[in-house]
Amino acid sequence: MKKRIVITGLGTLNAIANNVPDFARSLKKGICGIGAIDLFDTTGFHSQTGGQIKNFIARDYIPEKFSMKRMSRADKLSLAATLEALHDAELYPSPKELKEEIGIAIGGGAGGLLEAEEFYSDYLKNNGKDVNFCKLSSLFCASSTDCIASTFGFSGPKITFMTACSAGATAIGYARDLIVNDQASIMIAGGVEPMCRLTYAAFNALKSVDPATCRPFDKNRAGLSLGEAAAIMVLESLDSALNRGAKIYGEILGYGITCDSFHMTAPDEQASGAVRCMQAALKDGCLNIEDIDYINAHGTATPVNDLTETKAIKEVFGKRAYSIPVSSTKSMHAHTLGASGALEGIVSVLALRHGFIPSTINYQESDPQCDLDYVTTGTRKVELRAVLSNSFAFGGNNTTLIFGKYSDGGALNE
Amino acid sequence: MSKNKQTENAQRVVVTGIGLVTPLGIGKEEFGRRLFSGETGIAEIKSFDTSKLSSHLGAEVTNFNPRDFISVKNLRRMDKISLMTAASARLALDDANFRITEANRDRVGIILGTSFGATDITVQFLTNLFNGGPANVNPILVPNTVMNAAAGHTSIELGFRGVNTTVTHFAVSAENAIAYAAAEIRRGTVDFIFAGGTDILSEFYYKSLTKFHALSPQNKGKESCRPFDKDRNGMIVGEGCGIICLESLQSATARGHKPYCEIKGLGMGSSSTKPTAWPQNPEGMEKTFNRALKNACMSFNDIQVIFAAANGDKILDAAEAEAYAAIFDSPEKKPFITSLKGAIGESFSSGGIRACALALSLENNILPPVVGLENPLKSLAFVIGKKKEAEINNAALAGISFGGTYVYMTFSK
Repeated sequence: MKKRIVITGLGTLNAIANNVPDFARSLKKGICGIGAIDLFDTTGFHSQTGGQIKNFIARDYIPEKFSMKRMSRADKLSLAATLEALHDAELYPSPKELKEEIGIAIGGGAGGLLEAEEFYSDYLKNNGKDVNFCKLSSLFCASSTDCIASTFGFSGPKITFMTACSAGATAIGYARDLIVNDQASIMIAGGVEPMCRLTYAAFNALKSVDPATCRPFDKNRAGLSLGEAAAIMVLESLDSALNRGAKIYGEILGYGITCDSFHMTAPDEQASGAVRCMQAALKDGCLNIEDIDYINAHGTATPVNDLTETKAIKEVFGKRAYSIPVSSTKSMHAHTLGASGALEGIVSVLALRHGFIPSTINYQESDPQCDLDYVTTGTRKVELRAVLSNSFAFGGNNTTLIFGKYSDGGALNE
Repeated sequence: MSKNKQTENAQRVVVTGIGLVTPLGIGKEEFGRRLFSGETGIAEIKSFDTSKLSSHLGAEVTNFNPRDFISVKNLRRMDKISLMTAASARLALDDANFRITEANRDRVGIILGTSFGATDITVQFLTNLFNGGPANVNPILVPNTVMNAAAGHTSIELGFRGVNTTVTHFAVSAENAIAYAAAEIRRGTVDFIFAGGTDILSEFYYKSLTKFHALSPQNKGKESCRPFDKDRNGMIVGEGCGIICLESLQSATARGHKPYCEIKGLGMGSSSTKPTAWPQNPEGMEKTFNRALKNACMSFNDIQVIFAAANGDKILDAAEAEAYAAIFDSPEKKPFITSLKGAIGESFSSGGIRACALALSLENNILPPVVGLENPLKSLAFVIGKKKEAEINNAALAGISFGGTYVYMTFSK
């Protein structure tokens, strides 16, 4: 029988919370974290807003004994979220004998670009003279993975994904498989994405951002809101969690990855990639459509994504699509790109654990083409068995994760 | 019993095609001929001016004409790294004698490794932004600023729709990608998958590496790449793409295609090393190699050759040589060791190209020499001077990255 993989720790910083308990509260309250940003100058862009992490002072999170030399904002956010997740899983400080068996899989995006951009701007101004190239040393997103490993002394597998908006979800899916395949006992898995000028300029140039605040599934939705986050989960086998007496948030039941092979920045309007992705995750988890009680949508609020995703959900779930609540929490924490799959994974796990469905906020007018239950009138309190979370990316990369409530009476898919 | 056997067969992963766009040539014939005759692709950099820099050599891809491989419709949307990748995948597909059809395209995927991605496009994008403000940003560049662009373009060009993922973990990006791809074949999500690595040289990227003192000549002496040599003085950076096609043995057998080799064992691990520093301590390598051997149910003595990661760096090569000396302590059983970095340079995602070379070695029982190696730093069975003919049944591919990450794989006939 396949090993059951469970989640025993969570950590996050994002636009609506700087830790997991606050995140659960903000999700339940329907807090919007999208507003003005001050990480860089937004003058001249199509939009001026975003979902920036508030009041992040790295030293408030990372003990003095850990060096943060040359670390980027992304690296520091990853460390802060990892620390929270390790504490939560009662793995901090980590027992020496476990360190060899702890691996790391991170979905990244901009990595250290925020700092590298400052460097490059100086480089252009000075014609390449008198600039310190060391500022580029944490530029690439694998740097965050390496920083986590070197800070905590973990020496299991390390891998970093960069598939734009599906990277965080892919990292969690693959981390599960690394434990199933005995390459690691425990995996630190998740995603990190800092806001930066390049990403901001890119989405603005494509006019895929809403100048105000994103409105997923609304008739007048006009694009996404960009955000940033670090979102980390601790994964381990059920046996390992039980042996340690760890608290179990839920389990990973299935994941699927497909690609559209259609267009680099637009989803296939036939929704084939998204349909096959959800089906692959259901199949991987040996689940039926009846098992899914809530869908945490990709729901970016671009006109085409929300329409395509709605179509895809209808195709996969048939009539049942109308009775499954579907919400996009991007309306609160914005689109955190490389971290989004992991952040929304945490949303899914919290929903299972606390028995609630977060709402799609900012929703005003219904779209006749988007006619599912988008949970637009506030949080619902309800016990959930399994939650499906979608992540669709530029490049046509799709990843779907399915999380299940943990019950010692056996898995949902047994 | 027979049922068990069948399940085992379904899980065996074989290499059925290779595709290359490298400094040693395009396609396996040219690449193989030049590799085994000990030629090098390292030369003075031609695509940009290096006269003001501390290094001048590189392993560039030359004579690559994307039009020979890629449809006109998609060509104009693709950047350099995507063109090299899609061309390599096309070559690998043809070599595997596989046809992607409407019926099988959802069961074909790609897992690609890239260490640094399209550094040329990122620099161009930011130059536009900083020199001209938001209005000066070119939306056409946007899709290619993401690291997963090369795999995305490749899927569009070849028309497959299964698993698609991009891995980026510095110098083990390609090895990590191949390991993941093998796991996907075993998991049964796809029947055919492209895996490998791709990276390009660009002016700003090259300049940055010289500023980090990562390149030869690190200290004094002649600029050259000499893996495992006593007088080595740093790596020489390269570019290129190597893609292998993986299938289940069942699938290859069913369509009557003879595989190059089988992927047997996988070991992944790391050691506490400063980010951006090469590991000084061989323990992480030993541990991970052992894990791969155990995973393959093999012992040290079963391995006839190691395709090493050594690139001429002072620290890396010494640690890697020490690791193998410790693992293979019985002198008569020492496997051959070869490194390709003197021929193809260090492209960081070189694992893709090296996996292709390994497949050719297993097929033909020849080992490529370590170009640039004259005075070995340790008494190990390095392939020096010219190619070596030897019966090769099992080979190991070493993936070692700065930052202390390791991926070892074993391949068998």
